[in-house]
Amino acid sequence: MARNARGDSRLDTGLVLVCLVLGVIALVSPRRVREQVAAALRATVLMPLVQLEARASTVRAAVVSRNDVLQARGAAVVDTFSMRAVREENTTLRALLGLSARLQDGFVPAELLPQRPGDEFTITLTVGSDVGVETFSPVVTASGLVGMVANTDRHTSSAITWAHPDFRVSAMSVDQTAFGIVQPHLATGAERWLLEMRGVPFRAKLDTGTLVVSSGLGATYPRGIPVGVVIGELSTPEKWARTYLLRPVVLPEAIGPVLVLKPARVQQGVNGVWTSVAAADSAARAVAVAGDSIARKAAFDEFTARRAVLDSLRADSLARADTIGGGSATRPDSAKRVGPPPGGLR
Amino acid sequence: MRPTPGNNQGLASSLRGLAGFVLLMLAQFGVRPLFPGRVAVDFALIAVLFAAVRLKPGVAALTGFLVGLSVDALAPDSFGTSTLVLTLIAFGASWLKAVFFADHVGLTGLFVFVGKWVFDIATTLLMGAALGTSLAVTLLVWAPLSAALTAVVAVLLLVLFRPLYRPPGR
Repeated sequence: MARNARGDSRLDTGLVLVCLVLGVIALVSPRRVREQVAAALRATVLMPLVQLEARASTVRAAVVSRNDVLQARGAAVVDTFSMRAVREENTTLRALLGLSARLQDGFVPAELLPQRPGDEFTITLTVGSDVGVETFSPVVTASGLVGMVANTDRHTSSAITWAHPDFRVSAMSVDQTAFGIVQPHLATGAERWLLEMRGVPFRAKLDTGTLVVSSGLGATYPRGIPVGVVIGELSTPEKWARTYLLRPVVLPEAIGPVLVLKPARVQQGVNGVWTSVAAADSAARAVAVAGDSIARKAAFDEFTARRAVLDSLRADSLARADTIGGGSATRPDSAKRVGPPPGGLR
Repeated sequence: MRPTPGNNQGLASSLRGLAGFVLLMLAQFGVRPLFPGRVAVDFALIAVLFAAVRLKPGVAALTGFLVGLSVDALAPDSFGTSTLVLTLIAFGASWLKAVFFADHVGLTGLFVFVGKWVFDIATTLLMGAALGTSLAVTLLVWAPLSAALTAVVAVLLLVLFRPLYRPPGR
């Protein structure tokens, strides 16, 4: 028994020594030999384990690449959105540059500070009294009217937008046939972001799509700033006046960089600045006025000719009377009687 | 020589041990690559330690040698390191089995923790891949963390798959 135990012990010791010696040889052998032995083991007895490890690595790589694909897809989506935002901002800035060029002077460009939660009808501008911004200065974009400066600090100012309950602007249809007061449509839901034009005379009927601009009445907003587009008439208890629902020309999400008009510019007016509005309107008016002028001119000429004929006839009869009666010949001043017809000549 | 009930039990225990060993080796090459990182479970070390308590010291050393060789064959840069260290660890574990494998899960976990830490320390020093602060961090941070994770997994295996990894004669 003891001999068996001693034999086992010697066998164990021998095995350990052999393994240790082989291990040390594997450790200290040249790199080329180690790689050859490792390659031989991988190609023979360890082949199943190598394949198993390769498959596990493939699974791992698939999982990682899936994550990479998802991350790349997310990054692409983010880039797409940012590109769209940049393109829209570029369009806005180009339009604002065009507006600046038309205004030439008397304005201050401003950026918006981030809106505070719950304060959706007020915007904070990055310009203040140090650059000439004053209370009641109109705030505009290339599309039209945004609102009015309500408070100014030295470097910032806050403005109410057209959606603010206190917002009012005297407005008119672009063909100047209807005047009224534009104010927020204080409804609920999405209609809260519309405007209404109150106090329009009952005889003045506006079609859907008619552009409404500021009328210039009052000292705050100069004449000709687009405010909204008529989208329908509201039925109200007031039977002597009409109320129209307007879609604002500056939508809330489109309020980006803005221009603040200085008081001098307000007094000077903005005629021709929103050219798409004023030019078309003035051209139509000019054509109409020209037509009226020609008609009036023809009537005046005819009137003058008739008057001349009558005068000459009267002069002849007076001359004859003078000749007959020997009285003094006082020729009437026909020129004084010849005047423009009622209405005048424009 | 007729088979006796004791021989049958011993054979069944050996087969269970062999199955557990094979499963752990498969996990070493099939599961471990799924979770790469500085802190990883060493299924091969668990297999060697669990096998060592069933085997005589010489056979345990040979087992450690072969497992180390298979591990080294897939990492030629450190060829021989795992072979040498696992041989010594398996031999030592087989000698110490009477002390540590007292069918106590906590002691088994501690045994695996120490074995893995010693293994990492030995392989790191033999490879000489780290020096200074990096060496200290490897030996005192990453190695204990790997050892702890390996010990936790070993304890779980011992609890969940007790028939496979139960020490013989208990």
